[in-house]
Amino acid sequence: MREMAGLDEGAPLFAQLAGRLAEEIADGGLAEGDRVPSTNELAAYYRINPATAAKGINVLIDDGLLEKRRGIGMFVAAGARRRLLEERRQQFTERYVEPLVAEAARLGIDTDELVGLIRAASHAEASYTQEGITL
Amino acid sequence: MRTLVNVARYHLTQPLIFVGMVWAIMAFSFAVNLAIFRLVPATSPPAHYTGAVSIIYVFFFIMGVFATGRSLPFGLALGVSRRSYYTGTALLAVALAAADAVALTALQAIERATNGWGEELHFFRVPYLLDGPWYLTWLTSFVGLALLFAYGMWFGIVYRRWSIPGNVTFIAAQVTVVLAAALLISWLHGWTGVGRFFTALSAAGLTGLLAALTAALLVGGYATVRRVTV
Amino acid sequence: MTPAISVAGLTRGYRGHLALDRVTFDVERGSITGLLGRNGAGKTTLLRILAGQEFPSAGQVRVFGASPAENDQVLRRMVLIREDQVYPDFKVRHALAAASWCYPGWSSELASSLLADFGLPPDRPVKKLSRGMRSALGIVTGLAARAELTLFDEPYAGLDAVARQTFYDRLLADYAEHPRTILLSTHLIDEAAGLLERVIVMDRGRVVLAAAADDLRGIATTVSGPVLAVDDFTAGHEVWERRQIASQASVVMVGPLGEGDWARARSLRLDLEPLTLQQLVVHAAAQPAETTNAGSFAAAAMERTSA
Repeated sequence: MREMAGLDEGAPLFAQLAGRLAEEIADGGLAEGDRVPSTNELAAYYRINPATAAKGINVLIDDGLLEKRRGIGMFVAAGARRRLLEERRQQFTERYVEPLVAEAARLGIDTDELVGLIRAASHAEASYTQEGITL
Repeated sequence: MRTLVNVARYHLTQPLIFVGMVWAIMAFSFAVNLAIFRLVPATSPPAHYTGAVSIIYVFFFIMGVFATGRSLPFGLALGVSRRSYYTGTALLAVALAAADAVALTALQAIERATNGWGEELHFFRVPYLLDGPWYLTWLTSFVGLALLFAYGMWFGIVYRRWSIPGNVTFIAAQVTVVLAAALLISWLHGWTGVGRFFTALSAAGLTGLLAALTAALLVGGYATVRRVTV
Repeated sequence: MTPAISVAGLTRGYRGHLALDRVTFDVERGSITGLLGRNGAGKTTLLRILAGQEFPSAGQVRVFGASPAENDQVLRRMVLIREDQVYPDFKVRHALAAASWCYPGWSSELASSLLADFGLPPDRPVKKLSRGMRSALGIVTGLAARAELTLFDEPYAGLDAVARQTFYDRLLADYAEHPRTILLSTHLIDEAAGLLERVIVMDRGRVVLAAAADDLRGIATTVSGPVLAVDDFTAGHEVWERRQIASQASVVMVGPLGEGDWARARSLRLDLEPLTLQQLVVHAAAQPAETTNAGSFAAAAMERTSA
């Protein structure tokens, strides 16, 4: 189905689903102790096979980000958000900083100019949040 | 067992077709016959015979054709083996033949009792074949109906397997067999013998012959259905 | 547990050509498997043999451990929905009634609900149904039967995209509540991709690929952009296709990509487009006839599972 609510053909679906849920936890959409939708609910929403959804959930359970409570459902584990943000921090350099530096080099922007650009962008970000636009 | 019952139910999904229609047509034909004989002035032969009761036999043949020719594919699609489908259909046919034969016998009795419905109409009495005691009438009707249904079933199966060319070949084969038999008898100068056999044959004897023929037709149909694909 | 379906060396020949050529595969219970391939690949013949409606020329077929041909016990546990089903002079409700007697798991509520979903009038003669409506009838029958083994042979003929989506949604919903084994033959692969756990790809009567759908996702990517960058990026990887015009190139590269690869591609100004399941199937089917399940496909899929 084309409209798998944003899941695509680029990687195994179960991994994408796990990634999505992890992002939701990291972004605060799912707080610690919140109930996570059931396998069937997720399957229906993403229009994927329930077994695939279950596999994705299991990845998160194995990573300790979700915990299963018998008969009730799955819940976000304590400390999950903190751990995910910590992981993201570690990936920050590889994901964002290095490409930024490489692109700047290609465009001939030296380090000082780059730092200046970063400061300017930070100010803009700050004024956004001041106006009450938060993530 | 459950499967055989399901096959019967499947055919009777529209009971009117299998049961009602036959009798509706019979009733219509009967009414027409009666009306004609009421209107036409009495002529010399006191007994008025019509061959109209043959309608029900023709109908059983047609039902047989449809029971396989038309209904087999969906029947198999419902998860029934060919064996079970054929057996279930044949059993249903036997039951219907028996029941309809009872009706025919009863109507024959009433006809006798009312002097041919007041008009000397011999609708349910057919000379030699269906003019005797009630149990013989029942037996002959029963076998006759079953025979025609079995014959129709075989045609339907042949159609399913080989389409129209198959049916044409089937008829041609039968004609060939009959011709071959006739030639053989001629060659053996056996016509007088054959003639004598048939004149000496009672209605009961003929019924026995027809029963054997029915059995042969059922076996033929069964053999043909085994490899039919839909 | 015995697999739902177990086929070994299955061959079916007709005058002059082989519809099925030594087909071998298993389907485990409780899964949705896609049977994919072009028209004429042999999917229909295979399904009909599984349902006992056709006979094999050679080889072994087992459904729930027994041969399905002329076997009432096994046949009762399965249903095959075909788009070219011949019906007697029935109305829609007659067909459903007959099915309700023959399938022990039949659900009348599901049947009614699906009739409403597809807008199928119960009193219309089947003969008078449009092609799409006939397909809808097949789908209603197939789903409401809740047969342990449900086989669908391209059941969506004549159905528009909305109705097809309804089919997929209802299929998933009922499958989630009442798990069973489903084998869905389709050539609209991308539409059904999300449903499928496993795929079996056939071409010219042979199985050319059998793998978990998730193992195939991301296994090959189209890399497009400036020629030099493309060649640099794809160096050392197996390549399936290469096209070039002036200083632009587009290459289909094998091998899963990680985070780093995506970042690198961005910096090289390359465009990455993972191959969809449909494209992968087309590629698998286009392999020369001599290769069977061996080849880069299976190898790449193996790598993925062990990673």
